Amino acid sequence: MIRARELCKTYRVHRRPPGLLAALRSVVRRRYEEVRALVDVSFAIAPGERVGFLGPNGAGKTTALKILSGLLYPTSGSVTVGEFVPQERRSEFLHMITLVMGQKQQLLWDLPPAETFAMNRALFDLPRREADATQKELVDLLEVGPLIGKPTRQLSLGERMKCELVAALLHRPRVLFLDEPTIGLDVSMQARVRDFIRRYNESTGASVLLTSHYMEDVAALCPRVIVIDKGHLIYDGDLRTLARRIRPEKRITMHFSSLPAPGELDRLGSCVARSELQATLAVPAAQVTEAVRAALGRLPISDISVEDPPLEEIMQEFLGGQPANGRVKSA
Amino acid sequence: MRSLRHYARLLVVQMRTSLTLAVQYRLDFFLEGALALFWLAITLIPLLVVFSRRESVAGWSFPEALVVVGWFSVLKAVLDGGVTPSLNFVVEGVRKGTLDFVLLKPADAQFLVSTARFEPWRILDFLGSIGVLVYAFHRLGRAPRVGDLMVGFALFAVAVILLYSLWILVVSVSFRVVKVDNLSYLFISIFDAGRWPIDVFKGALRLIFTVVFPLALMTTYPAQALLGKLTSAHALLAGTGGLAFAAIARFVWKRALRAYSSASS
Repeated sequence: MIRARELCKTYRVHRRPPGLLAALRSVVRRRYEEVRALVDVSFAIAPGERVGFLGPNGAGKTTALKILSGLLYPTSGSVTVGEFVPQERRSEFLHMITLVMGQKQQLLWDLPPAETFAMNRALFDLPRREADATQKELVDLLEVGPLIGKPTRQLSLGERMKCELVAALLHRPRVLFLDEPTIGLDVSMQARVRDFIRRYNESTGASVLLTSHYMEDVAALCPRVIVIDKGHLIYDGDLRTLARRIRPEKRITMHFSSLPAPGELDRLGSCVARSELQATLAVPAAQVTEAVRAALGRLPISDISVEDPPLEEIMQEFLGGQPANGRVKSA
Repeated sequence: MRSLRHYARLLVVQMRTSLTLAVQYRLDFFLEGALALFWLAITLIPLLVVFSRRESVAGWSFPEALVVVGWFSVLKAVLDGGVTPSLNFVVEGVRKGTLDFVLLKPADAQFLVSTARFEPWRILDFLGSIGVLVYAFHRLGRAPRVGDLMVGFALFAVAVILLYSLWILVVSVSFRVVKVDNLSYLFISIFDAGRWPIDVFKGALRLIFTVVFPLALMTTYPAQALLGKLTSAHALLAGTGGLAFAAIARFVWKRALRAYSSASS
């Protein structure tokens, strides 16, 4: 469905030191620097797949999405989405995709979302009955019925994002590019947006390419992740496999009914968090059963749970310790 | 045929949205209308001042010069009501990166941005300017001939195309330099010179206002057509000029789109 081959994107940016003097100097003589936003990035995404783009700020995730949606021209390399080259902006291609950006909105600020929907219906030349049915379905799914008649500027951030999704999906795209769709939303709203995206993907078979700063989004939605750092693709594969490879350990969190004997905890694993009646241990995955059994036998346990290490922590370690052009082979 | 219908429908939807936006804030709507008429009156002042001291300027009598001013005001109403709001929308879109959404729609991007916004109250300005033209002919003591009127209408279309093309060129620059506010002020200031017949200008300025920034083609020639003074060679020059500018603008716009770098997330 989507294929990117040796994608490179270089921006030419004007750079100057801070301060008035430097600013004045830059009026006469500008210094430009080349920033390589993407370097030889290649991947392929199948129809119906949900893939997460991960990477720190400025890694090149948004640039990649914008190239895939035809907004930016790659400096070199090639992209196809379906049978189309995005940059040609063919009508069939634009009917097939959508791009949702958490930081920008297409809703008309002073008018109710329903006006934007009407405009998109005309823009995509959608037959009235079909468009009405889709709009009703999306509005019901996202529970925004009472909102679409209110001016956009009076809606909350979460309400606006839900209406954005309606506007972006009215033409029933088969490829969804989602650039931080849950940014700034509260936890329950994030969960609802996530849930909606998954249901849309499952019911329509659309491919979803998502970037997000919330690891929860990616973990819940995307079985496969592509990690980009400083423009380089450093991992492409299963998220759990990556997590296991970076941190081949489990976390055992224990609550105690009384203080455990000193030294007992250290024998089970390395302690990562400790308070008086609670402790979290990091234990190699293979030894978890044994460690739990030992803990239950020797310690005054009132509650115990076994979890994977937090994904945020794993990614931090992965990106922090990764050479810029290194690459972890996919699983 | 289908795409023509599609674009006609789009135009209606875009105009409807602009109208809805305009009436969303009622007070603003009435204020803008009143301001439009006020500015039209202001436009006449320089002319009244000059002609209070002499009978003619560069061979143009007061009512004849008034035809040029009337024509200039009609064009300015079209510029302010139909062209500038849309193109300001593009400049804003380039700076904030919201032009992304326009480029993601399956319709010609130039059409979409050019019809994005209208200011409906400018219709008052437009009607007022027609009033100035009618008054000018009343002072002249005659009505324009039917043939001259037809040429006038044709040149009106040419003038709008010229104006629009120039604006597109200005906006295309914004893809590269991002902030073009001053360029648009410069544009509007130069356009202001169009209220004077081209014969008022001498030498290089006259050449610039005929070929580079063709104010002559936009206001003087159509006014001359209405007055029955335009030669067919000049009419042809205006027509060709209009088409040439439209073609150049389209070419530059297409090139400029490639330079669009969007704004970061």
